[in-house]
Amino acid sequence: MRRFLRRTTAVAHKEVLHIIRDSRAVYLALGLPVVMLMLFGYGISQDVDHVPLAVADLDRTPASRHLGEALVAGGDFVREADLASPDDAEAAFRSGRVKAVLVVPRGYGRELARGVSTRAQLLVDGSDGTTAAIAMGDAAGILQAASLGRSAVASLSQGPRIRVRFNPAMRSTYNMVSGVIVLILAMVASLLASLTIAREWERGSMEQLFATPVGRVEILLGKLVPYAGLGFVQTLLVITLGSYMFDVPIRGSLVTLFGASLLFLLAMLGTGLLASVIAKSQLVAVQFAMLLSYMPVAMLSGFMFPIENMPGWLQAISMAVPGRYYLTALRGVLLKGNDLAVVAGDLVALAVFSVALLSLAVWRFRRRLA
Amino acid sequence: MSEDFSVRVKNLTKRFGDFVAVNGVSFEVGKGEIFGYLGANGAGKSTTIRMLCGLLSVSSGEAEVAGVDVVHRANAVRHAIGYMSQKFSLYLDLTVAENLEFFGGAYDLFGRAFRARRDAVMRDLELDALSSELTGSLPGGLRQRLALACALLHAPPVVFLDEPTAGVDPAARRKFWRVIRRLADGGTTIVVTTHYMDEAEYCDRVGLMVTGRLAALDTPECLKRTFVPGRMYEIQGASVIELEQVAKDLSLLDIEPFGAALHVRIAKDGPNVESLKRELTGRGVRVTNVSDAEVTLEDVFLTVVGGAQKPKTAPREAKVS
Repeated sequence: MRRFLRRTTAVAHKEVLHIIRDSRAVYLALGLPVVMLMLFGYGISQDVDHVPLAVADLDRTPASRHLGEALVAGGDFVREADLASPDDAEAAFRSGRVKAVLVVPRGYGRELARGVSTRAQLLVDGSDGTTAAIAMGDAAGILQAASLGRSAVASLSQGPRIRVRFNPAMRSTYNMVSGVIVLILAMVASLLASLTIAREWERGSMEQLFATPVGRVEILLGKLVPYAGLGFVQTLLVITLGSYMFDVPIRGSLVTLFGASLLFLLAMLGTGLLASVIAKSQLVAVQFAMLLSYMPVAMLSGFMFPIENMPGWLQAISMAVPGRYYLTALRGVLLKGNDLAVVAGDLVALAVFSVALLSLAVWRFRRRLA
Repeated sequence: MSEDFSVRVKNLTKRFGDFVAVNGVSFEVGKGEIFGYLGANGAGKSTTIRMLCGLLSVSSGEAEVAGVDVVHRANAVRHAIGYMSQKFSLYLDLTVAENLEFFGGAYDLFGRAFRARRDAVMRDLELDALSSELTGSLPGGLRQRLALACALLHAPPVVFLDEPTAGVDPAARRKFWRVIRRLADGGTTIVVTTHYMDEAEYCDRVGLMVTGRLAALDTPECLKRTFVPGRMYEIQGASVIELEQVAKDLSLLDIEPFGAALHVRIAKDGPNVESLKRELTGRGVRVTNVSDAEVTLEDVFLTVVGGAQKPKTAPREAKVS
């Protein structure tokens, strides 16, 4: 046992030296997350705002002006030059100058005052489907509120009140950041781990290593520990950045959060080691690792595509994606403040995956050349 | 089994599918002996050594290294052997001291015991001044010495060196061999492969591998007597074609180019230097000089491998004469 620990330490120490000497690993582990967070957090926001809007106001009353102003006030729409007639909307859409046109018919103000239903119209450019759908949703709320404020009668016919819990402003960055955390950990951990064994095969040092008393568990464990450490620093960085840059709340316990992260990290390192043990060449190992870790996390964890929308068989496959459980746990702890009891199931699933993947890597790792 | 032998191999065979890389090889290496393993690339030298180090499984046959049955207990042999693989395989991004420290750890050497061995090995191999150098910045000769140092840290009774001097300059090679000789004098058994024929002369005994078979095995002297009998002369000024025309008359057994001259082998009872020169000029072959020449292991190799096959040619095309 003592020899086991010492030999493992020797391998781990050597691996730390490799990491320090090859600064690319450090850049990859600590630089890439920052870039990805920026990209996803700022660049790829699903919140639609600043939609260019033109108004064709045929009513020209205070009420009709108020309607146009209400749309712009929230920042969701930006007012472009008015249109003289609704017939100009077609040309405005085609030129791409505007994505939405508000048409207020003559007599709008009068009808609103009388409390009868009004016929204001919002035309949306449907060629950009995502923007159109979200713009319509935003506008519907605003328009309803605008008319409600003016109409006592309309308020009588209102439906059930909808309140969004945990993310009342429906900010997509919350989902985005938690998803990106999963994606980054999956990508970097499996990438770094996939390189480490394959590199020894390629350089020929594996043969030398096999001629020493160092065992396969010692080799894999010795390689795992430094990368788990690096991954943990990375987790710390990503979660801190996420909460500072994008105001993502951390409502649950930090211990639960890092526990879940560590388990997921081990599963991803296990994936990388497995790829590395099988492939024996760095290039193949990296591609293999990406295929096993990054792709499923991106597609099947529920980050980009809701699992509820998937066909049954795809949902079944998603059960085998560790990222799914981590994402659930992460969102639960960050946004809902879930405690250990609630996320225990996800943690157990992650633990099972880590143990299974690491064992598989050890099992597949032959200490012979042929 | 006998205590006098460090390595005992009996009918050792390795198959890769249909290809037989090592075919029924048997030999024994005594304690403190330098055993040279010669052969063309792909003749099965490295495969044999890898089996003896427990790196490759054995297809059939027996092998015992330092008293350990390698066929059944491959893992148990690792403490007893030092191995230098053909491909330089230390970590180039680590310093000399760090490489030594890692391999020390890999061989269960720590603390004072490690430091004592490290200092001894570094002194023996004259690496003292280099401990903080990055391994990647060292020239080939020094890298090989470091690799040897790493393989010797745990003071193994048997050391396997697979082409340790490939790509190393002659001065560094000579230095390397001095270290090997010193080790053997200290009782360490050395099994070394090479295809430098001059290096094989340093070995106590030499085994010649040809396409997976051990074609010859003896001391360098006996090999020369057995496979290259007769006298060797060096002839200058004549061409191969001219000599071939008179080969039958003068019973020349072999004509091989050697530098700018030719090496010609003649049966033991053949003419001496003076009469050979006379005979040649008498037959109209112009020669500027004829002198005695040493039989080298290269001559042995060429005879064993057969005909004009050079040591570096592909072994599967070579025919055993």
